[in-house]
Amino acid sequence: MSVVEVDGVWKIFGDRAAEAIAAVRNEGLGKAEVLNRFGAIIGVRDASFTVEKGEIFCLMGLSGSGKSTLVRHINRLIEPTAGTIRILGEDIGAMTPDVLRALRAEKIGMVFQNMALLPHRSVRDNIGFALELRGKDAYHRAQLADRALETVSLHGYGDRLPSELSGGMQQRVGLARALAADPEILLMDEPFSALDPLIRRNLQDEFLSLSQNVRKTTIFITHDLDEAIRMGDRIGIMNDGEIVQIGTAEDIVTAPADDYVADFVAGISRLKLVSASKIMVAVESHVARHGPIDDAHDYPTARPEDDLDTLVELSTGTELPVLIRHDGNTVGIVTKDTLLHGLQGTEAA
Amino acid sequence: MSATAALSGAEPREVESRDVSVPVFADRNAGYYGSVFERLQKGELPFWHMNLAGLLIPWIWSAWRGVWLMFWVSLALDVVGLVCLMQNFKYGPLLEDAYLDPSANAILIERYTRWLSVYNNVGIATLVLGRLLIGLQANRWYFGQYSKWRIDGRTAHGVAARRVVIAVLILVLVAPITLYRATQQRIDERACFNQVRAIDGTKRLLSSYGVTEVSDLTSAMAERRDRLVTERATLEASASLTDDQRSRLSAIRREERQLRREIDAAEDFKAVTAKDRLDCLFIDDFPTLARVAPPEDVTYRRVPDEEAVAQGRSGATKVIRQVKDPVEGRTVNIFTYTAESIDIGINFLRAQYAGIFDALTNVLRQSLIRVEVAFMLTPWPVLVGLAMILAWAYCGTGTVVFVGSSLTFLAVFELWQIAMQTMALVVVATAICIFVGLPVGIWMAKNRIANWITEPILDVMQTIPSLSYLVPAVAFFGISQPPAVLATVVFAIPPMVKLTALGIRQVPQSTKEAALAFGASERQLLTKVELPMAVPSIMAGLNQTIMLALSMATISAFIGAEGLGAIVTAALGDAQAGKGLLAGIAIALVAMVIDRILKGIRSSLSRI
Repeated sequence: MSVVEVDGVWKIFGDRAAEAIAAVRNEGLGKAEVLNRFGAIIGVRDASFTVEKGEIFCLMGLSGSGKSTLVRHINRLIEPTAGTIRILGEDIGAMTPDVLRALRAEKIGMVFQNMALLPHRSVRDNIGFALELRGKDAYHRAQLADRALETVSLHGYGDRLPSELSGGMQQRVGLARALAADPEILLMDEPFSALDPLIRRNLQDEFLSLSQNVRKTTIFITHDLDEAIRMGDRIGIMNDGEIVQIGTAEDIVTAPADDYVADFVAGISRLKLVSASKIMVAVESHVARHGPIDDAHDYPTARPEDDLDTLVELSTGTELPVLIRHDGNTVGIVTKDTLLHGLQGTEAA
Repeated sequence: MSATAALSGAEPREVESRDVSVPVFADRNAGYYGSVFERLQKGELPFWHMNLAGLLIPWIWSAWRGVWLMFWVSLALDVVGLVCLMQNFKYGPLLEDAYLDPSANAILIERYTRWLSVYNNVGIATLVLGRLLIGLQANRWYFGQYSKWRIDGRTAHGVAARRVVIAVLILVLVAPITLYRATQQRIDERACFNQVRAIDGTKRLLSSYGVTEVSDLTSAMAERRDRLVTERATLEASASLTDDQRSRLSAIRREERQLRREIDAAEDFKAVTAKDRLDCLFIDDFPTLARVAPPEDVTYRRVPDEEAVAQGRSGATKVIRQVKDPVEGRTVNIFTYTAESIDIGINFLRAQYAGIFDALTNVLRQSLIRVEVAFMLTPWPVLVGLAMILAWAYCGTGTVVFVGSSLTFLAVFELWQIAMQTMALVVVATAICIFVGLPVGIWMAKNRIANWITEPILDVMQTIPSLSYLVPAVAFFGISQPPAVLATVVFAIPPMVKLTALGIRQVPQSTKEAALAFGASERQLLTKVELPMAVPSIMAGLNQTIMLALSMATISAFIGAEGLGAIVTAALGDAQAGKGLLAGIAIALVAMVIDRILKGIRSSLSRI
């Protein structure tokens, strides 16, 4: 069972959303026509995806592409116009307000781009906010909050006010607040976008290592493809409210679904993303073109899942092609030509 | 070639350069305006360069080209100039009359001549200089319009006959009547009222005689008079009359008198010329000549209910309704009618719900007494010490000194006890303001309709002169402190409500969203997020409320509230400037002491 299932979710803003959605479904209207005819704005357009336990799922898109709107459907801060969302198998659209509040407080933690800490409360009280809302006593709250503070390496800052902390530290507090109630799901809405690059990198690393330990199911929003590739086990790319492609970083880089995605990935280094299996040539076609493989030579070898970076390493200092071996068999061959084309992302001639 | 391709490939965008578009903007005579605009931009247009159309036909030119600001300015200048010249028609005839007897009217002649020469000079100057100004500015205004049009394509541009038609309509509507008005004297106050009466009376006569034309009416009345005269002559001629005949004679005489009045009325009506009617419509005040019968003069009184008392319910009362006979023929205007109706309404409410008002008065009086006792029986050293400790804890040394010297002022001038009375009133009023204002403010922040209803009410409460609701306050709650407290609440509550609403509204949406995302309910959102974050704003509201309450203390002394204000009003009555000033300063000092201490507390709160 997937932890989060989003199924055919639409969000149309405007008083005449119901009419608009019918028209969009029946007549396939575009964004501009919907705005013209119904004065309605399409926020999310038929989004479906699932997130498995422990996975980090990145939603990537430019500002205005609907990613923040979509993620707010997952804890029902925004009601969908159509479609269902299931958390741990339960349809959250059918939940009563009480059950929904319990779900938000206990099962889902959220981190915001602008931190959204409560300025009048100490760091500790901010972190313990969700617990306080559930009626947990002050003593246990403080203990859990201090533990969460330690997780984000802010030990000893519990009694400060948020305004006394730097932006990076505030966002750590935001993360600690999301983790304090030990939820199963983390929603992270561009958590590092407002930070400067060094601190962002730092926090990304910390979050990744933290994530290794706690294995929270995470939905991570970003407008930065590099960040999406670094953080995400899988990436969903959004454009104009629509999810245009879902896949691993490698899938998206090697097989972009459309021009929009292709434009996006054009500038991305393929060194660490593309594996040997994606570019290797079958032994037979290599033999047909270049003659048989001479066993006398000491060919460099690699595994199919090794990335281009490894292949470049192996290819330097030798004229010989790299043999890709799997279970003791040679399954493919990578010549220098193939490798260079692979780096460029073009087909070998 | 390649550069073009790269550009066109980048982003297809409709960029229409408007630099080449003076012809589109100006439409007719584009060559002239193109060169004028260019010279304007280069700063080469000499200041004496004049737009001939602007000089000669400014209204038509500006309307045709859609430069409405210029249309209105030129219209205003021309009308002002012409109105000045029109005075010739007003004072000219008067002057002529005066010259009939120059020696007797020397003063009048001198005065009218002086006035007329001033009017003529100003009129001609306005016309000439105004036209010159418009002629000089026309191109510059037009260039301004052109710049605006380049940013916003909907700005009026080109030429349009439709706009000229509109302009002519405006001229027709404005100019003749304004100029005519300038030639006429202000008319007699009763003239228009009499005119309306003559018209109404004649209408009644027309229907009672069953004719439609006034000429028919006159002849019918003349006929009737002749008949009556003949009959009377016959009767008077005969030597002896029977009783019947005698009474008939006096009836005829009465009828004749009545008829004469009717004939007079018809004459009055015929004397009303079209000019008179026009004058009454446009030269007199706004034509609100409607007169209605006044509301029934009713008073409600609560008296002991003897029947019920007889049945054993002691102290039972009932409301009785007394109607006074209306004054014969009294008519009032709508203002008086409404005002009297309100009086009757207040009278009714006071009598009908006496219990409620008395209870409320009692509650207020009791709580006032408690607070007053607390303030007045606490030894002054304790209060002074408390104020100074607060000042020391929350504010600087300067404030401590200020608080100390202000309170010394009160003590030295023996105003301490009286100031404490004022304080009691302020404290009770402020407490009510908080208990009512806070929830209303929250409601207002959360509910758009509530905001829509409350906002204008608060504005009225803030701007309505306090003396005007002191009167109904007295009607409902009697005199002295209780109505003073309520009047103070009315005056002082708006900032409390408004700043509470403001504080809650300015809590960032993202913070509220975060609280909801962590499972906050509406109530938790309010108590744990919105209210705490609104505290600085609410404190600012509280501070203002207290200040307003103190300033109201003086005014409520008019209805018998005790305290420093009473000294001020007494000093006003006796023209004792010194007394009034000292008491006024005392009020200001009390206000400033409270203000400084509260500000200190506020800033220590908002440090969080």
